[in-house]
Amino acid sequence: MKAFRGRLSIVNDRQEEDKKAELTIKDLRLSFGGVIAVKDVDLNVHTGELMSIIGPNGAGKTSLLNCITGFYHPQKGRIIFNGRDITNLHTHELVSVGIGRTFQNIELFPGMTVLANMTLARHIHCHYSFFNSCLFSPSVKKEEIRHRQVLEEIIDFLEMQPIRKKAVGSLPYGMMKRVELGRALALEPRLLILDEPFAGMNLEEKEDMVRFLLELNQTWGLTMILVEHDMSIVMSISKRIMVLNFGEKLGEGTPEEISNHPEVIKAYLGDVDTL
Amino acid sequence: MEGNRHNILDSTAQKNCPGFKTLPQILAANSSEYGDKKTAVRDKAFGIWQKYTWADYYRYMEKTAAGFTALGLKRGDTLCMIVENHPEWLFSASAAHALGAMTLNLFTSSIAEELNTSISRIDSPIVIVQDQEQTDKLLEIKEKLPFIKKVVYIDPTGMTSYESDPWLISYAQLLETGEKYLEGNNNFVEDEINKGRPDDIAVMIQTSGTTGIPKLAMLSHRNLLSIAMQWTQANDIKPGENWISISPPAWIVDQMWCFGVALQSAMTINFPETAETVLEDFRDIGPSLIITSSRFWEDMASSIRVKISDAGWLKRNLFYVGESVGKEIVEKTSKKQNIPLKLKILYKLMSKLVYRPLLDRMGCSHFRSAFTGGHPISPDVIHFFRAVGLNLKQCYGLTEAGGIFQLQPDNEVKLETVGKPLPSTEVQIAEDQEVLVKSEAVFSGYYKDYETTQNAFIDGWLKTGDAGYIDADGHLLIIGRKEDIIRNKSGEAFSPDFIETRLKFSPYIKEAVIFGENRPFISAMINIDLGNVGNWAEERMIPYTTYMDLSQQPAVEELILQEVQKVNEQLPDLMKVKVFILLYKLLDADEEELTRTGKVRRRFVYGLYIKIIEAMYRNEKSVNVLGKVRYRDGRIGEIETTVKINRVE
Repeated sequence: MKAFRGRLSIVNDRQEEDKKAELTIKDLRLSFGGVIAVKDVDLNVHTGELMSIIGPNGAGKTSLLNCITGFYHPQKGRIIFNGRDITNLHTHELVSVGIGRTFQNIELFPGMTVLANMTLARHIHCHYSFFNSCLFSPSVKKEEIRHRQVLEEIIDFLEMQPIRKKAVGSLPYGMMKRVELGRALALEPRLLILDEPFAGMNLEEKEDMVRFLLELNQTWGLTMILVEHDMSIVMSISKRIMVLNFGEKLGEGTPEEISNHPEVIKAYLGDVDTL
Repeated sequence: MEGNRHNILDSTAQKNCPGFKTLPQILAANSSEYGDKKTAVRDKAFGIWQKYTWADYYRYMEKTAAGFTALGLKRGDTLCMIVENHPEWLFSASAAHALGAMTLNLFTSSIAEELNTSISRIDSPIVIVQDQEQTDKLLEIKEKLPFIKKVVYIDPTGMTSYESDPWLISYAQLLETGEKYLEGNNNFVEDEINKGRPDDIAVMIQTSGTTGIPKLAMLSHRNLLSIAMQWTQANDIKPGENWISISPPAWIVDQMWCFGVALQSAMTINFPETAETVLEDFRDIGPSLIITSSRFWEDMASSIRVKISDAGWLKRNLFYVGESVGKEIVEKTSKKQNIPLKLKILYKLMSKLVYRPLLDRMGCSHFRSAFTGGHPISPDVIHFFRAVGLNLKQCYGLTEAGGIFQLQPDNEVKLETVGKPLPSTEVQIAEDQEVLVKSEAVFSGYYKDYETTQNAFIDGWLKTGDAGYIDADGHLLIIGRKEDIIRNKSGEAFSPDFIETRLKFSPYIKEAVIFGENRPFISAMINIDLGNVGNWAEERMIPYTTYMDLSQQPAVEELILQEVQKVNEQLPDLMKVKVFILLYKLLDADEEELTRTGKVRRRFVYGLYIKIIEAMYRNEKSVNVLGKVRYRDGRIGEIETTVKINRVE
């Protein structure tokens, strides 16, 4: 009975303080041998924003995300999240700071159920001791019920009820992407990073995903960084867009500014003069 | 419920007199009788079955009703609902009934324009919608619906950006509004309930008209309680038995059941989590009664077959043995033959090893009776389920008659019939073979349409529009829609569609056209199914080249003859197929033999193949034909062939 409760508790129980997500990237440089993947990039993302990063293949988008989420460590520059320097933190530490992500290539456990995959993400929110968990004491039980409630609310929100107990490996591609988003949400992140969430989806799946992302941004107040190739989606849902090309920042601004930016047009469509 | 507020309604004896009650009065009686002791409603949400007792049901209804009043719903108004199967549907409908308002449920799949037409007819002051999707449709046509005061949305997902719109209100807010209204107005809803009269209209149901706009059939409290009483008695339904609500709220079945039968008999109504999780939720609940379309059972049968074919060697073979034993028992029972002891023992064994575990797995182990209605069910499917011990039976009804009024009694299951009428329902056949029905459940008329209402009745009997007859055992047999009926030479009516549908249940028959208007007997023109018959032929090493070649193979003729004979067994004598031919080509929409939706254009086909049809009635063995075939590239070729005429003994 959804209607009686009004909004999901996972949305309602979130205080303004829990939503704070101020990301500052200063002068970031990442290189692999002689190849410079990310070249002196600056970026600011503010609480509640939906920021998109676009650029041609090999522009360094995923490399930049991997720096933020601790998969790579940059040679130069700083990444500050909510006032804390997170440049050299490891992935598991970043998760407790409040950064969650999905991957371009799905990174789930195919043999486990949807619920089990998502449950894993609750690990960082477990507060009971190993000893207590062995006894399954009332406090553990209470906490586990809360975890399941959070997961069920996410399942409900992402309309995954029919696949709750299905093995992830047996699901269609678009559904797996949704499960991955569900797992990222189970972390209850402040900042959600989405690496090409629309790739390989059909129109209907894309529409569903857009609906979810907008709701997450508007109702849940979740700050998001989106890397995506589908321009029509990026232009319609982003608040701001940053354009990368060969590791360098070409431009940054609102969708209108970006679509009229001469450098961006050049990088995407070729030089106007040569047309 | 506190105190004796409903004591005038308490006794069960009074509950059994539907003439003195309305639906909300029964709800109040249930609430005071069962209170928090018995579960009225269960809804699966967030992965858990959330339960509502009768007292909860009454409380939510009360708040909803007060909320409606605060928003301006009055006695005699109509509440329009575009919702899915969830408790809010039930609470809102009961609330409207309590206030003396009527309810109209519309399909969630309707497009905005359809909704506009339906809602405009009834000037609904309040519309309840399920979610954002339905809200968007109404916002699209808002200009055309000036009489709507408020739209109440149930699911708040995605509605954040709509919150500032004063036209919209969430269900949670509606309940709050209701609570406030009840403060200082404690007995308001109870008083309203007491004002209700049995002949007030409770629900309106849109019935698909063949011409023009759909008609709105009105059912009163008396109508619904009458059908409810009859069902409760006929099936001996006990309080607390489980019903699962899976057919769309806009149909008669779940309205008759949830507003009527479940209330009357104090059953528990279960709402599945989503439309996609029905089979899973079904298993959680294990309902004891169900009425669904034949489609549901066909899907379930095929999903069982798919799973069995993937199962291990032992399970698979046990299943096949079990199925054949079951079928033998069912066949022997239906022919009233004695069952040998050996078979009886085998059946007991299979019941333990195969049937019970299988039914349990599908959530069907608690069924006392399962009903299928609407379109005729394939004999294979009904045999399959009856063979594994599921009491699947056929039923028949229509909106205007208050719902399903005709069902097969236990142990009297016959494939072709729809059984016997409910205890206080009378059924008779008119001279033109139209089925007529009379009972207290028969509807009160069409909304604002006196003439059509008059035409729906003859001497106090409701005309169903279906033709049929009653067989020797007193079972009703529906032939088909009256307008589709054809008469043979001696003037007896039959329905080509009735026979064709049954022929097409055979996997080997793709299309069948029945002839016989003003003829002494019935003939059939059959298209074999190239894929299935082709495979059949290959398995038996029968070589063939083209469709034409395959269709004229003697072995194939023999195969189809057996299929026709099987169908004939289920048909009454005058409808038995006496002669058939296998057509040398498939009927094709490109050649105008079929409509684009795949229906046979009977008259056209009759004219085109008149030579073959005449030959069938002339007692010939074969006929030479020169047919035209239009190829896909538009060229027209000629086919000269001999078609054999097959007689069925």
